[in-house]
Amino acid sequence: MFNLSNLVQKAQQFIDPTLSITGPSSDRRPSKATLFRHQFRLPETQSPLQEITAELTLSPHHSTRGSSGESTSHAQERDRPQGNHYVGKLHLSEQYLCFSTQGSSFLNTASLSASSAFTGQTHGAGPAGNGFILPLCAIRRVERLHSQSYMFALAITTWNGVSDGKAKPGSAASGQKLTIQLAGSRIQCERFCDGLKRGLREGVREVENLRAVVSECYSEYLLSEDGDDKKSHGNEDRKPREHPDTGLGMVFKYPGNARKLRDATKIRLWREYLRENGRSATLIRQPTFHKLIRVGLPNRLRGEIWELTSGSFFLRLQNPKLYIQTLTKFSGQESLAIDEIEKDLNRSLPEYPGFQSEEGIGRLRRVLTAYSWTNEEVGYCQAMNIVVAALLIYMSESQAFFLLSILCDRLLPGYYSQTMYGTLLDQRVFESLVEKTMPILWDHLAKNDVQLSVVSLPWFLSLYINSMPLIFAFRVLDVFFLEGPKVLFQIGLAILRINGEELLDATDDGTFISVLKSYFARLDESAHPRSENPKLRAVTRFQELMVVAFKEFAGITQNTISEQRSKHKGAVLENIESFAKRTSIRNLGPESKRLSVIDLGFLYDRFYEVLYERQQRDEIMQHEAERKAKAGRMKATEVVSGFSGNNPEVGRVALGPSPTQMDYDGFREFLAGIAKWAVTDSPSSPPELNGDKQNHSYFGGSTRSRSTTISPWGSGPEPADHEFMKRLFRRWDTDMNNTLSLQNVVTGFAQVKGTKDIMSNISYFFELYDDDGDGRVDRDGILRISEALLFLSRRGFEGNLSPSPSLHDLATSPERRENRDEQFLSSISAFIRRCFEYADPDHAANQVRQAAADLASFSIGSDNDSEDLVDLSDPASPKPNPSSPRLLHTKIPLSPTPSTSNPLSPVKAKATAANLALDPNNPLHITLPTFRMVILADEVLETFFESGFSASFRLLDAPQPSHASSSSNLTTFSNAAARNALAPGAGASVGGAGVGVVPPGKGLRGMLDNIVSDGMRVAAEVRRRMDEAQREEGEGEGEKGHVEEEGEEEGRDGELLEGAETADVVVGKGAGVVGDLLGPPGEGKKEGEEGVKGRQRSVSEASKILEFER
Amino acid sequence: MADSGATSAPKPSSSVKLVLLGEAAVGKSSLVMRFVNNDFQENKEPTIGAAFLTQKCNLPTRTIKFEIWDTAGQERFASLAPMYYRNAQAALVVYDITKASSLQKAQHWVAELQRQASPGIVIALVGNKFDLASANPASDTSTGGDDADATATAEEEEDVDGESDARKVPTKTAKAYADEEALLFFETSAKTGLNVAEVFTAIANAIPETSLKGPRGVGGQTNLGRQEDSARVNLTGANVQGPKEGCAC
Repeated sequence: MFNLSNLVQKAQQFIDPTLSITGPSSDRRPSKATLFRHQFRLPETQSPLQEITAELTLSPHHSTRGSSGESTSHAQERDRPQGNHYVGKLHLSEQYLCFSTQGSSFLNTASLSASSAFTGQTHGAGPAGNGFILPLCAIRRVERLHSQSYMFALAITTWNGVSDGKAKPGSAASGQKLTIQLAGSRIQCERFCDGLKRGLREGVREVENLRAVVSECYSEYLLSEDGDDKKSHGNEDRKPREHPDTGLGMVFKYPGNARKLRDATKIRLWREYLRENGRSATLIRQPTFHKLIRVGLPNRLRGEIWELTSGSFFLRLQNPKLYIQTLTKFSGQESLAIDEIEKDLNRSLPEYPGFQSEEGIGRLRRVLTAYSWTNEEVGYCQAMNIVVAALLIYMSESQAFFLLSILCDRLLPGYYSQTMYGTLLDQRVFESLVEKTMPILWDHLAKNDVQLSVVSLPWFLSLYINSMPLIFAFRVLDVFFLEGPKVLFQIGLAILRINGEELLDATDDGTFISVLKSYFARLDESAHPRSENPKLRAVTRFQELMVVAFKEFAGITQNTISEQRSKHKGAVLENIESFAKRTSIRNLGPESKRLSVIDLGFLYDRFYEVLYERQQRDEIMQHEAERKAKAGRMKATEVVSGFSGNNPEVGRVALGPSPTQMDYDGFREFLAGIAKWAVTDSPSSPPELNGDKQNHSYFGGSTRSRSTTISPWGSGPEPADHEFMKRLFRRWDTDMNNTLSLQNVVTGFAQVKGTKDIMSNISYFFELYDDDGDGRVDRDGILRISEALLFLSRRGFEGNLSPSPSLHDLATSPERRENRDEQFLSSISAFIRRCFEYADPDHAANQVRQAAADLASFSIGSDNDSEDLVDLSDPASPKPNPSSPRLLHTKIPLSPTPSTSNPLSPVKAKATAANLALDPNNPLHITLPTFRMVILADEVLETFFESGFSASFRLLDAPQPSHASSSSNLTTFSNAAARNALAPGAGASVGGAGVGVVPPGKGLRGMLDNIVSDGMRVAAEVRRRMDEAQREEGEGEGEKGHVEEEGEEEGRDGELLEGAETADVVVGKGAGVVGDLLGPPGEGKKEGEEGVKGRQRSVSEASKILEFER
Repeated sequence: MADSGATSAPKPSSSVKLVLLGEAAVGKSSLVMRFVNNDFQENKEPTIGAAFLTQKCNLPTRTIKFEIWDTAGQERFASLAPMYYRNAQAALVVYDITKASSLQKAQHWVAELQRQASPGIVIALVGNKFDLASANPASDTSTGGDDADATATAEEEEDVDGESDARKVPTKTAKAYADEEALLFFETSAKTGLNVAEVFTAIANAIPETSLKGPRGVGGQTNLGRQEDSARVNLTGANVQGPKEGCAC
């Protein structure tokens, strides 16, 4: 045999640089799984489990007619007697066994093929080099061979041909055989074999899928044709196989002249290649494979090879029925995307006869529609119709469907998204590559103000399909699907290079475009028409283009593209975002005109900033949870393409649809950023206080995810949760969908801030509390209003000082402020008194009694103010407290009759119904005029409604120093990100700086806050006692429900966490058990076989035997 | 069409960059096609990114060479538009008179142009698909199902309803908006050719003399570069003398 140690050394030497990445330690690098998937074009479910250096030997006798094909192989590969040898890396994922000679593909360095002069051009973004990607279910048999060396050698027999699999499970006659020598330590090898065994057993379940999927492949038909005639193995009579669907071309002819394209010759070559190297799922890439693709695929095989090289085959294998299921599931439903699709159906490759027919249009409609349902974010983008139409000429609907999703998700990331950021970015990348490779042309373009992307954008967006004549565009696609997106760049650069001289003469867009147009029209002509050499004369312009693209621009690799993409990404996204912002603000409607453009811009930024940050946090927390659940198996986010890699970017406006609706929690956070009162008093949120709040909050249940380690509010100030905010939220939520859109928020603000009229402010406030819209606010509402006023004022009001105060002001005039706060408290106290004084009774019938009762309650309340304070043993609270009337009733909660005017029942309707004691006799209310009168009667309140309230929302008119930075920048998100990066984990003070929030509990301000919050505490205390009393009576059902719910939720959280941990354990154990069962392969064939056979009968049933021979 | 007989006398010629904007499938490309090639295609491929065409328009005193940027209409292509309307001297904002939402979109475009495009840009608001509104005998051969009957006239209001008139945007509404924003306004039919040339001529006339540049790269005849340069010098001279504005060509 060959010199093994030498080989190993060589391999190590080549692969060493990659070890840092591909070694076992790399589990910490989240990008590896993605890189792996990208290289082998595997579905998202796959992750690299095992890998090992190996040598692949393809025995020349695995096919009866191999000799003719051999001749095309490189001579040097045949220096060994046993067929072709390739050194590379063998990878194992959950469902695939992959081998590639380009072990380096996870790294930047290219071309490390040890045994072949020809290396693939993918450089890590596609099935590079030579090798295979075998679904484990396509492996029929694995044997461990005797080897002279210490190394492991496995003989793998693949499952080839549908017919055989059905007929004789044990027969391996027609399967192709390949030998793999593992080069690694014994332990490594054993581990690999263990993994393989597990995978093989799992793979059994997929066999049916494989059978179904493969049967739609033309290669099966192609090979079975001659197999039935000539081969002797399958002696059962078989009806001629049905011709699989190879696209519209079958019916409407394939574009181009088949004879001129030498289609028959190509088919013959492919038939030979496939017979030797496996078909569809079991195809092995040898150098010939790449060459055959470069010369153009034969029509009928084109669809299948596209599917294989792009990896969409594996998607289809994973879920063969997805296409049909999607269509059925959504049949009859309407969507915007469908409308858009309908517009374009008649205008997709209209020159191709197939798309003038109902058949063709129907197919196109179904594929586009199905895809728009599976990926609603993308939906439908013009140009997709053209691309899909082109695909449908060569493949079945289902094949095209999966290929389209590979295109959108991987090959053309972001191209067809809502903002088309991928397209714009790649245009920028293309321009920079032109600048780099053709500086003279670039200068010329710049000088003449010719915008390159105007020309090149359609090239990329529709994959040259509507730029070049179809037959040539398909040739580009052949290579593109194998080698990835860089092909588009290479072709584009080559086009410019070839036409360079003419383009240098063009001085405007028009000429520039016409030069290229006429070039495309003459692609079939000879590139050297005047040449003496007939061979040279035979070279067409298209061939020349291919040569220039792949030779001259061979240096353009996937890595080049990725680097450039990440370089330009920021600028491109910012452009899109500023455009989106501009458009969005302009379209906000007439209401928004009441706010200044700057304010609108600020609201826009703040709105999306909050949504974005919340999404980020959710994601991080989710990841955290996932990480816990999956222990070790990480979810990759970095993508080879340089996109969508950085997790924190998901959700950026420019990257496509991001959330546009804000829920209540988001709204709280949003308010906390612009209004001081919306920041909670307890930023650290001690649990008991939190719980207390919850129990007594009228609208409970918004404190989810408190238990996580990350603050649910990020680095910003923690928002308060007050009934007032809930009311505001509901008021602004005009669509009644429990979320706010930017439109809602802007309209809401326009109402609050856009008016300077005190009367409308007062009515606005009144309406907030007029639940049923009948123009009356009842007793409960009055107290709520007073609570809200207290809540709003608890950090002091700037409104009565100046409309735009700053932190500085607040700090320098504490005394004045204190006075104002006192004033405010007493004003509110007076407010309540007056309200009750002037309130109207609800029913005329009750009038008399009520009036009396009102009077009584009022007088009691006011008379006992001071007493109550003492009772509460809260001497620190120096103010007459508006909550004091409640206290009275807490003293007599059990007596039904005297509690006539219990005004503070927190659950008015329910409680009243449930408890007669609460206040059956004298409901009362105030009307808007009364409310107005009461407000206007008090100077402080008047000022509050005149300016204080609207000024408490700070938009840009407040001259906050830190505001300036965020306002001057059009894109908030980058800003926000920067801020977060600067102050990770910093408290409210840092995070809130940009939005003008004063952290409570600091210095003089803290004192004031204490005073105010004492007042609040009194109120809370009163309420708590009342609730307790109610509960004791078992009548506060609603409230109780709240508490229980809360408890349950917490319980569930806990369970979840526990569940995650146990899951870990189970996985660990499971693995252990399996390992035990199987034992190391070295322990002998019997044990291994027993384990396999005994436990998994289906293994043998499905014609799989794992044999391990010593 | 527009440039027939342009060669008789050497008139000053200048190029104008014009951009077409509007919702998808309102007929932007068809308008251009009618103007440039005097042709109409029933199923035209959607424009990807943008298409570029040129056409000359002869005014009595000068020749305007339109460099027409025909943009893609789908909403998500909107973010590409700034690339195309950059430096444009004229814009055609097109809507479909049979689709109310398209006028709204057109208004957004007008707003965008007024704020973002070069100042002094000449904007024309164009309601296309006039043939669908006034059941026009000439359109009998068409595919459209909406223009079956021959009773409705163009100026009628929208409530005439489906079977005879597919018009959804009353002329009045659009005209009022155009007046308010000081836009040129036309209703056209790319299919029948109605008003198409008139739109472009009106734009040509409305382009302020001062913003006219010299001719650039005449129709791909690249070896004429020298001559053009000298022509440009002459032209500026001629322009300074200020030939009076002529009528339509």
